[in-house]
Amino acid sequence: MKLNSLPLMSRLVKKSPSVCTDLPLSSSDVCNKLHLMKEFLRSSYGPTARLKQVHNNIGGSVVTSSTSCVLLQAIASSQPIISLIRSSILNHVSRFSDCGLFAAVFCLCLLEQAGQCGLRKNVMIKVNKHLLALCTGYLQQEDCGCKVKLDFCSSHSLITLARSVISSKPTCVLTEPESDHISRLAVQAFLLTVPCNIPDPVRLGRTVTITIEGHSVLKSAVFPGLLLSMPENLCFESLCSPLHVVLFSISLAGDLSEIGDGRIEMHQGVDADSQILDRLLELGKQVLKDGVKLFLCQRVIHPVLQHYLRCNGVIVIERLGVSLMEPLIQLTGAQPVATLHATIPSTVFGKVHNVCIRQFGSKTMLHLHPAGETAVCSMILCHRNETMLNELKLVCRTTEHVLRLTLREPFALFGGGCTETHLAAYVRHKSKNEVSESTSVLGCSQTEYVLAAEAFCRSLELVASSLEHDGGTSLIDLTHAHHWTLPSDVTEEHLEGVMAPCACGVVESCQNKTRSYLDTKYAEFSPAPLLTASPLQATVLDSFTAKVNALGVAVETANLVLDVRYVIQDVN
Amino acid sequence: MLESVIINSRQHVGLQKVSALAGRFRSSIGPIKNYKFIQDEVSGESVLVCSCFRIIENLEPTCAVGQLVYETVRAHHKGYHSGSGCLLFLAGAWSRAALDCLQRGIAVTHIIKAMSEGMDICLDVCKKSSVLFKDIAVMHKRTATPQDLGLQLSEKAITDGSQEAANVHDKFLNMSGQRRVKLSRHFCEAKSEMLSSALLPDLPELPDVAVLAESLSHGCEDAMKLAVEAAQMLSKMNQQHISDPSFDISKVQTCVLPGLPEDCACVVEGCVFLLSDERARVAHRIKQQPLKVALVTGDLSQTYRHLGFKSLSGVGVCEHLDLSASSKEDEWLEKVVKRLLNLKVNLILTAGFASQKVIQRCCRHHILVVEKVNSSVLRIIAGSTGAVPVSYATQLAEPCVGNGINVEIWRDLSSFERKSSTAVKISTGRNGGLVTAVITSCIHGKLQALEDQFWACAYRLHHALKDRALLPGAGGTEVLCVHQLQKQAEYHRVEDSKTGSAANLYRGLVLQLMADGLIDYISAVMVSTGRFSAAEARTIVSKQLQDFHKDEIVAGKFLQLILESRREDAVFSAGKPDEALAVKIYDNLSVKQEAWRKALDLVFLVLQTDAEIITGTGQGTEENLMRL
Repeated sequence: MKLNSLPLMSRLVKKSPSVCTDLPLSSSDVCNKLHLMKEFLRSSYGPTARLKQVHNNIGGSVVTSSTSCVLLQAIASSQPIISLIRSSILNHVSRFSDCGLFAAVFCLCLLEQAGQCGLRKNVMIKVNKHLLALCTGYLQQEDCGCKVKLDFCSSHSLITLARSVISSKPTCVLTEPESDHISRLAVQAFLLTVPCNIPDPVRLGRTVTITIEGHSVLKSAVFPGLLLSMPENLCFESLCSPLHVVLFSISLAGDLSEIGDGRIEMHQGVDADSQILDRLLELGKQVLKDGVKLFLCQRVIHPVLQHYLRCNGVIVIERLGVSLMEPLIQLTGAQPVATLHATIPSTVFGKVHNVCIRQFGSKTMLHLHPAGETAVCSMILCHRNETMLNELKLVCRTTEHVLRLTLREPFALFGGGCTETHLAAYVRHKSKNEVSESTSVLGCSQTEYVLAAEAFCRSLELVASSLEHDGGTSLIDLTHAHHWTLPSDVTEEHLEGVMAPCACGVVESCQNKTRSYLDTKYAEFSPAPLLTASPLQATVLDSFTAKVNALGVAVETANLVLDVRYVIQDVN
Repeated sequence: MLESVIINSRQHVGLQKVSALAGRFRSSIGPIKNYKFIQDEVSGESVLVCSCFRIIENLEPTCAVGQLVYETVRAHHKGYHSGSGCLLFLAGAWSRAALDCLQRGIAVTHIIKAMSEGMDICLDVCKKSSVLFKDIAVMHKRTATPQDLGLQLSEKAITDGSQEAANVHDKFLNMSGQRRVKLSRHFCEAKSEMLSSALLPDLPELPDVAVLAESLSHGCEDAMKLAVEAAQMLSKMNQQHISDPSFDISKVQTCVLPGLPEDCACVVEGCVFLLSDERARVAHRIKQQPLKVALVTGDLSQTYRHLGFKSLSGVGVCEHLDLSASSKEDEWLEKVVKRLLNLKVNLILTAGFASQKVIQRCCRHHILVVEKVNSSVLRIIAGSTGAVPVSYATQLAEPCVGNGINVEIWRDLSSFERKSSTAVKISTGRNGGLVTAVITSCIHGKLQALEDQFWACAYRLHHALKDRALLPGAGGTEVLCVHQLQKQAEYHRVEDSKTGSAANLYRGLVLQLMADGLIDYISAVMVSTGRFSAAEARTIVSKQLQDFHKDEIVAGKFLQLILESRREDAVFSAGKPDEALAVKIYDNLSVKQEAWRKALDLVFLVLQTDAEIITGTGQGTEENLMRL
C-alpha cells in the first residue's frame, strides 16, 4: 500500500504490483511486433527504399524520411524489448551516423532466424559471439577480400564514398548530376575542415550548413570562412583588412535578463532602462576607439546601440545563435565577452581578412574571409522543396561524419550488399572447416554449431537482399561472393547476354554457371580475393568504421535480447 | 503507443489522395476561373475564393499527403504567385499515370526513371520553343503594319539546334488566300535579314510592355492593365532606360479599399493610407508642400520595447511614492513632441502602433502620424528620402530625418463607409520611390481575389521581363511536349521490338501516360474557357497531334487560332483581317518549368511513400493499423 503524498489526502491508493513476464521472445505478441518492426525497417533500407511519413496524431508538421534516426526516434513502444533494440541502435547512430538501418535490420533478422531454428538460446549467443569475432577479425586483416584502401592522393574514392551515402536516401529526389554535385561539395567541405598546418593538438574544423529552399540543387556551394545572415540594405564603405572583431555571448538588449526571475528593488526615480543603455553606449564608444569594425552578438543588441555603431561605420550583426559561436571563435580567434560592466581588454578581439556580401535568392549573407589558415567552412544547400531539403541536410551531415571516420581508418567496404554476401560465404566456409575445434571451445554439438552458423549467414544474406524493393531476386556469384540483383522482368535467358557488373561495381559480368540464387543452398567455397589488376573500380562504397561497429552492435543487441529471461514492468 | 499503417502498393492510397485532391480544381485552371464559396461547418463562416492556392489554403487538408500537397503549393505561390493550378492539376494527372503504371506491375524505380526522362524531354521542349523578346517585337511590328510588307509572312527566328522548321501559319493569312509557306530554316533566316534591312530599319529590340502584358493576362485583363500601369509608372519614376525593361516588383504595394466600385481601381505613385477624420484634417493642413519625415520601426508609445527585450517583472520600488505610470508617459510624450517640433518633422510613419494620446497630441501640433506601415514600405521611403528608420522615437535626431515627401488627399471616402475615412497619398516623387495599386470592390469578399489576381499578373510580367523569353500559350507548349513524348515513346517501342528486352517497353508506356496527363490538362483548360465541351476539346487535340505526325510542322499557336476562330464572327465580318490583331497568348517560361518540376517532385515523394507513423496516443481501432 502506498499513501498518496497530497497533504489533504483522503484516500489510500493501492499500488499495483509489478508484472513479471518470462521468456518474452516466446510470446507471439512480441514476435509479431518484432516482425512488424523488421519489415518496416527493411522497406526503408537502401537507395530504392520506400519513404515513411511521420506525424503527430493531433496534427502538426509532417516529416517524410527514410533515415534511421528519424524513424527510430518516432517509434516509441511500450514493449521493453523493442525499446531496448531501439535505444541500442540510436546510440550507434549518434556515434557513427551511418549504417543505422543496417544494424537494426541485421539484429532483427538474427532474432527471427534464432527463433526459427529453435536452438537453445545460450548456444545461439555463444555462436553469434564467436562468428562476430571471426567477421571482425577477417575485416581487420590486410588481405580482406571486401575491403578497399582509400587513396587520399586522389579525391575519386572519397567522392565515391560520399555519393554512396548521399544517394542512399531517396527522399532527396536527386538526379545523377545533382548527386554528383553534392558529393563533390561534401568532399570539398570535408577537405576544407582538415587543417593544413599541424597545430597541436590536431582539431578538425567545422562545416556550417545553411539551407535555402526554392532553388535548384545545382546552386549549392561551399565557401571557406563563415556566412552570417544579415539584415538587408546594410551597406558599408570598403574596409581595409585585417578587420577587428568583437564577439559577445551575453544579451545586449538593454534588459537584465541574466539575473533570472529574482526580485529587484530599485530606488524611486531610477530608470533602469536608460542606465543600462548608457552603459551599452559607453561600451560602444570603447569598441569604436579600439578600431573594431565587426560587432557580433549571440543574442539581441539594443537598437540604439546598433544605430550608434552603424552610423560610425561598424558592421553589426545580432542573434547569431549558440551554434555559430564555436565556428566563429575558431575562425576569428576572438574570445566571447560575457559581461557589460568591465572594460574590454584588447586581447579578446579577433580578426578577419575581409568581408563581402553574397546574395542567395532572397537571403542576404555576409561572408567572413579568414585572416589566416582556417578549418571552418560554410555549405549552402539548396533544393526545390522543404521535405527534400531537410533530408538532404541530414544526409550531408552523415556524409561529413563518414568522411571524418576515414581519417581514423582509411578503408571502405564494398557496398550494395556485396560485403554482406562475401562475409556470409566466408563464414560458411570457415565454420565448415573449423567445426571440430569450435564445438569443443563453445561446448555445443556439431549439428547445433552448423545450424547456428547457418542462421548467422542467412541473416547477413537477408540484409543484402533487403536492398531490393521492386520484386527482383538476389544472386551471388560463386567465385568472389558478390551480390547481383535480377529485376523481375528480366528472364533467365536474357541474363546471359547482359554484361552487368555486381551491385558495388567491382566484379564484371556474372557467368551463368558460376552463379546461384541467394536464398538457395550453394556449395560452400572460399571467396577468392579480387585480382589487383581488376579494371573496374567500386562505384558503391560503405563506411568501414561505421559498418564494423554496426555489425558489433547488431550482434550484441541480438544476444542481449536472446539472453533476457524475465521482464519486470512497473504498471503504475 | 503508436500505430503505423502499411498500405498495399498496388492500390497506393497516397497517389489516389493526390489525384482526388487535384480533381477538385478542374474548374480553377485556365483563363476563366469560377468563384467558389468555402464554408466552415463549425463556425459558419464562409470565404469567397477563386485561385487554387486560396482554395487549398482554406480547405486545410489534415491528412499527411494533403499537407505535403499544401506545402508544395504554398512554396510555389510564395515565389511565383501564379501557376499553382497547373501544378496541382498535373500532380493529380501524373499521380493517376503512376497509379496506372503500378497496376500494370511496373516497378517504382522504373517509373521514377522513366518519368524523370519525360520531364527532361518536356523541359527541353520548353527551352527550344521559347520565344525570345526580339522575336515577339518583330512579330508584333509585322502584324501591326502588314501593308508595309510586300509579302505577308510571319516568321519566327529559329533558336539554335531546333530540328523542326519553325513556321507559324497564320490562319488569317490562309483565309485571305495566301499560300501557306513552308520554309527551311536557312531560307527563313535569309528572308528575315533581307526584310529587316530593307523595310524595318529600326527594329525594336524589345516588345512594348503593354503588348507583352496583354498576351500574359490569361483572362484577367483589368488586373493586368493595373500591373502594366504600375510597371510603366515605376520605370518613369526611376528613369529607366528604354533598353532596360526590368520590373522591380519589390517596389509595388497594394492597398485594398472596400466600398468603391471596381472600376475605381488604379495605380498611384507613393502609398495610400486610410485616415480618420482628425488626422485627415491635419493632412489637409500639410498637403502639397515638401515635408520632413521621421520613420520609426517600433511602436510610438512609452511602453514599447524592442523585440528580444525581457521586461523586468519582479521590480519593486524602495520608497512608495506615487510615481504612477501615467506621468511617466506624459514625460515621454513631452520629450518626443518637443523633439519632433525641433526637427520640424510634419510626418511620422511607424511600423507599429501609436497610442491615442500620441496621435491627438501630434494632431494638435499639425504632425501627421501614420501607423501600421509595412516595413518594406518604410525601407523604400528611407531609401528615397534619406531618412534613417529608428526603433525608438526618442532616438530621433537630425541625420535621421528625411525630406522631400509629399502628402495629398487622394479621395474622400466618408460617404461610402460608416466611419468616415479619407484616403491620403504619401509620395516621394523622386528616384527610388514606390507605386501602389489600389484595389477596390463593392463586394468585400471579392477583395482578396482581386488582390491575388493583381499580384498574379504583376509577377507574370516580372518573370517575363526577367526571363526575356516566353512560351507559346493556350496549350501550345503542352502540345509540343505531348508530341515529343509520344515520339520518344514510339522510339522506345521500336527499340524494344528490335532488342527483345522488356526494359524499353515500360519506358514507352510511362512516357505515353505522362503525355496523356498533359492532354488531360489541355482539354481541361479548353473546357474551362467555356467554348468547348470535353469531347470537342479531346478531338481537336488529337487531330492536331495527328497532323504533327503527318508533316512535322511545328505550329505552336494552333490552339489559339482555333480559339480565335470561335470568337464572334464580327471579327471576320470586319473585312480587314490585318487589323484584327491576333492577340497571341503566352505563358511564362520559368514559372511553367518550376510548376512542372514541383508537380513531379510531389508525385515522386508520394509514390515512394508506403507507410505513415502516427505518434502520440492513438486509441482508434481502425483496420489496416498495426501497433508497435
